[in-house]
Amino acid sequence: MNTVKRYLRLYRVLVTQFLKTIMQSRVDFLIGLLGFFFTQVMGIAFLYLVFQQIPNLQGWTLDQLIFIYGFAQIPRGIDHLFTDNIWLVAYRLVINGDFDRYMLRPMNIFFQVIAEKLQPDALGELLIGTILVVRSLSKGIVIVDGLHIGLFFVSIFAGALIYTSIKLFFASLAFWVKVSGPFLQIAYDMANFAKYPTEIYSKGVRFLITWVIPFAFVAYLPASFFMKAETSAGVVGIECGIAFVLWWIAYALFHRGTQVYESAGN
Amino acid sequence: MIEVEHISKDFVAPKKYPGLRGAVKGLFSTEKVVKTAVDDISFSIDTGEIVGYIGSNGAGKSTTIKMMTGILVPTKGTCSVAGTNPSRNRKENAQNIGVVFGQRTQLWWDLPLSESFTILKEIYNVSDTDYAEQMEFLNRVLELQDFFDRPVRTLSLGQRMRADLGAALLHNPKVLYLDEPTIGLDLVVKDNIRKAIKEINEKYQTTVILTTHDIGDIEELCSRIIIIDEGRKIYDGSLCDLKDTYGTKRKVSMEVKQPEKIKGLRLHTVLGMQENECSVELNQESSTLCVTFDKHRLQVPQILSAVMEMVEVKDVQIQETELAEIVKEIYNHGVGGET
Repeated sequence: MNTVKRYLRLYRVLVTQFLKTIMQSRVDFLIGLLGFFFTQVMGIAFLYLVFQQIPNLQGWTLDQLIFIYGFAQIPRGIDHLFTDNIWLVAYRLVINGDFDRYMLRPMNIFFQVIAEKLQPDALGELLIGTILVVRSLSKGIVIVDGLHIGLFFVSIFAGALIYTSIKLFFASLAFWVKVSGPFLQIAYDMANFAKYPTEIYSKGVRFLITWVIPFAFVAYLPASFFMKAETSAGVVGIECGIAFVLWWIAYALFHRGTQVYESAGN
Repeated sequence: MIEVEHISKDFVAPKKYPGLRGAVKGLFSTEKVVKTAVDDISFSIDTGEIVGYIGSNGAGKSTTIKMMTGILVPTKGTCSVAGTNPSRNRKENAQNIGVVFGQRTQLWWDLPLSESFTILKEIYNVSDTDYAEQMEFLNRVLELQDFFDRPVRTLSLGQRMRADLGAALLHNPKVLYLDEPTIGLDLVVKDNIRKAIKEINEKYQTTVILTTHDIGDIEELCSRIIIIDEGRKIYDGSLCDLKDTYGTKRKVSMEVKQPEKIKGLRLHTVLGMQENECSVELNQESSTLCVTFDKHRLQVPQILSAVMEMVEVKDVQIQETELAEIVKEIYNHGVGGET
């Protein structure tokens, strides 16, 4: 318990310092936020465009697709907000030896990596996600009862953990290959497939995003649970199972990586 | 305080081939090259010692330090710092040590220095009373108050080094590792940093391990030095012993009036010595004759009188061999070649 308290306190201290740093460059902060918001607006505009051609995609209506899209943004945004610094491990910290500083401090290493940064750009994703989910509520296309509301939050948490685990797994490869950013980028981009119903893809792609890099479990599959009464709550159960297994694998790899870390010469 | 036993570190890298064709070949080759950066080094350091850890670039100094700080896991051998295994109990070890890497700061670059100290206070769990006491001491020794409120990136190199040293000492570590702490500093700042290190060592009995290329650091600070070369320990002992054993060469340089008179002088035959015991170097332009000789075999007056019989001498300078030259000699020939 004391450990948890200590880490929460440390998190507050470290994040406060980070916020002080970014406040010094307010313009960057605003541009980043605006840029992400704009990306989101484009994404939705794209959905509308597609639907002017095809009024119905594999049985899904536009409103339903907008819910899937919006729902997908929330776990993505949470992960993006809190663990963005993992990208730096993949691209820079291992190859240039800056990872040394985490090894020298008496704190958990993964904690130090994520506590060093908050990504305010993610607020764009969270905002859009929330707006679209609320919109879907007002349209009455999602099921609202105790079970679904509870599982909604569980699913968001599990989804964010899946994102974090996938990022951590590919970033940890940097300990062996020095720069793993490009691999991480490819894996992360797979998440874009999961914003739409997976039935529209060929079998291979569907298998890949469901079982190999399981972004389908972050967005489309749980989202369908919240819209269709016949979908079993088990889908959220599987999502949680996948989240924990992936986290365990990714963290083990990361830990192994810190043991083979070679630093950099002076 | 520190026990290092038969420690080794290998770095494995894929084999590289020259040229573009080689680069492509390298992609598909599974051949590996093993580079042994540290090769079976052992030593033990007592509480309160200041040890200079020296060697040429790439000799394995930083690698050893990184193993002792827990950054790298040794390939073979064990190491124990204040009773803790740095790679197995990294966090516990981190609480016991302070580290300054001369070329890399540990401070928060964009924030005022004071903020870095506030964060470090939390990270190392320093109590308010300890913090106040330690800050008072650090302010006195390192004079941090002059720039305590300035962002780290605006500090001069000397200020930054003082700040880094202070940051490494805030939690009063048992062991302090300094990797080239005076690199790039001017003489006055160097001197202040050295004084500060001495004072900290005296006050808290902090064990200090110092890597440096600056012989001044070693002469001022270290009672003991360890020299490594190509990953192997080649000397471990006191500075005086090193000077006595290897610093047997002395140099005397004379300004002479008519240098052409002694062109091609073979002084060792005149004095009945071997060539390696007494060698001369004549610079015609500045009219100086420089004689390097073994101080156990020859005395300065013998040389002077021999030279003065041949030519008129205007000025004489006698130099003791500097540590820098001894170390250079050891790097070049190894310990065995020096007797």
